Amino acid sequence: MNLAQQLVNGIVLGHAYALVAIGWTVLLGVARLVNFGHGQLYMLGAFVTWWAVTRAGVPYGLALPLAMAVGAAFGLLMQRIMLRATFEQNLVSIMIMTLGFGYVLHGAAALVFGSTGQILETALSTRDIDLGPLWLTWQDAAIVVATVAVFLALGWTLERTRVGRLVRMVAEDPQLAQLAGIDVRRVYYGVFAFEGAAVAFAAGMVAPRTPILTSMGFEEVIMTFVVVVVGGIGSVRGSYFAGVGLGIFTALFGALVSPAYTTAAAFLMLIALLVLRPGGLSTGAAGGAH
Amino acid sequence: MARPSVRRAALPLVGVAVWFAPALAGGGASVYSAAVLIAILAVMAYGLDVIVSDLGEVSLGHTVFFAAGAYATALLSTRAGWGSWATLGASIAVALLFALVIGLVTLRLREFVFSLVTYAVAVVAMSLAANWSFLGGSDGVRGLPMLDLSFAGLTLTARSDRELWPYAFVLLVVAIYLVDRFRNSRLGAAAIMTHLNPRLATIGGIDPARVRLEVFLFSAPITATAGWLYAYQRAYVSADILENYFLILMLTAVILVGRRQLLGPLLATALVLVQEKFFSLGGYVDKIILGSVLVLVLAFFPQGLMGLVRPLARLARGAARRAGAAQPPATTLMEKTK
Repeated sequence: MNLAQQLVNGIVLGHAYALVAIGWTVLLGVARLVNFGHGQLYMLGAFVTWWAVTRAGVPYGLALPLAMAVGAAFGLLMQRIMLRATFEQNLVSIMIMTLGFGYVLHGAAALVFGSTGQILETALSTRDIDLGPLWLTWQDAAIVVATVAVFLALGWTLERTRVGRLVRMVAEDPQLAQLAGIDVRRVYYGVFAFEGAAVAFAAGMVAPRTPILTSMGFEEVIMTFVVVVVGGIGSVRGSYFAGVGLGIFTALFGALVSPAYTTAAAFLMLIALLVLRPGGLSTGAAGGAH
Repeated sequence: MARPSVRRAALPLVGVAVWFAPALAGGGASVYSAAVLIAILAVMAYGLDVIVSDLGEVSLGHTVFFAAGAYATALLSTRAGWGSWATLGASIAVALLFALVIGLVTLRLREFVFSLVTYAVAVVAMSLAANWSFLGGSDGVRGLPMLDLSFAGLTLTARSDRELWPYAFVLLVVAIYLVDRFRNSRLGAAAIMTHLNPRLATIGGIDPARVRLEVFLFSAPITATAGWLYAYQRAYVSADILENYFLILMLTAVILVGRRQLLGPLLATALVLVQEKFFSLGGYVDKIILGSVLVLVLAFFPQGLMGLVRPLARLARGAARRAGAAQPPATTLMEKTK
């Protein structure tokens, strides 16, 4: 076992976790919404990219925006159906509905794409970069670059632009923002479309690393939970660092202890954190729940 | 609206009707198998019902209690030769232990963080069950003996689904009785108060954290006993018992008919299972149907089917009155006056 190589793997994996979690981070931090169908949206993004590349012969560079468009469309559809619950801030209903959406997506994807595992190969994922004793694929490098770029762009948008200001106003107080003349409905639609597009983009980038299955959404979402909670619920910068930290942790755990139990280990980390600082997190949760 | 006493008096009649339902539906092997499954999965859902409907929290980890009952039964009956009464006790004990641990860890978490952690518990449990050889790994545990509840010279066994039906029925009745008692108990009242106004509950001398833990401890064994009987019905247990299907089914059972309707989870489970067993359009399409029902009911009929029935019943009564008919107003057995 080469420790430096595992560190490289961990950094790549961590950027992948952060990228996959970004839609949830914005959803939660900005709109106080949750999406338990996130894992199935990831699965959908991966399969649309796979279908476009291998079946329709679309170049990878065009398959990504296609997957993002499908993801955004699903995000909009979900938000349309959940609009009333969103305005009521009825998180219980939203949680159960997003779970239901995920289940529908799972069934639909299995119907369309079949239930056998597939490999998504891209021009980048089949070529390696050799750095002496260390190596990674061009796809890995692209994940790191894309993640950093997306986080920087998102941070800039939220803090410096008019759109970012509107979105943060809605997060602070939807009713008052509505009174101030902001079209709250459009902001909610926008945020959910972003969630769908972002997770589809992440899937198109990250999915070439592992075989893809239509049933993978169930487990996929756990790492996003850990990133979002460890990063400080809804914090964009926090979730970047939480993602990278989690990636390094799981890479080392997988290499040193057991690759089969990485999910369990990441979960134990989450529990330990929740037990150690329950006060801080529960106030964060209450803030997101009112 | 029927008075509570009238509805209570009607319950035994409903019970008799349910008892004979499989026989009236033809009494074939597939009918009994579906009936037993409906009873088992309804009991599973009743455990979640008190958490969602009364406590107002969404536990996404209840499949773990279901699986705990099934795995405890499978492991103890095949490896230690325990009888069905002993495995029943063990299922309840394991569920209580799990509920205590999960309940204590999540005691201060509310709303979506609570749901997120309980969902994670279910995913981790599934990865453990699929990988850990002690739990049978991906093969699961096979070759369970038949259900044998014989005692004091009385032979109580079940070799087929037809013979299993009386036991499933009794389990169902006990679960419904317990939920009913819960709703009329101090704990049930405290749960509702904690749900609707935690601050008021605290002023009234109720400790919300304690109430949550107690409701959790009440709920988990109900779901676990469903897992206990499920293990005997299938005669094997594997990690697929932790699949999302059971979670989605439980949630649908809780919300489809309406919250806090005593017979709601049973009716909803029956509707879903009858569709899946006798009007199936293939596994994937059934998934789409079940998920869509869950989403659409919550989005457009948040009161559940009762929300539809009530205005219709009112309309029918109005029409009957206008027509000058003397028959009593149409009432539904499951209607619960608020």
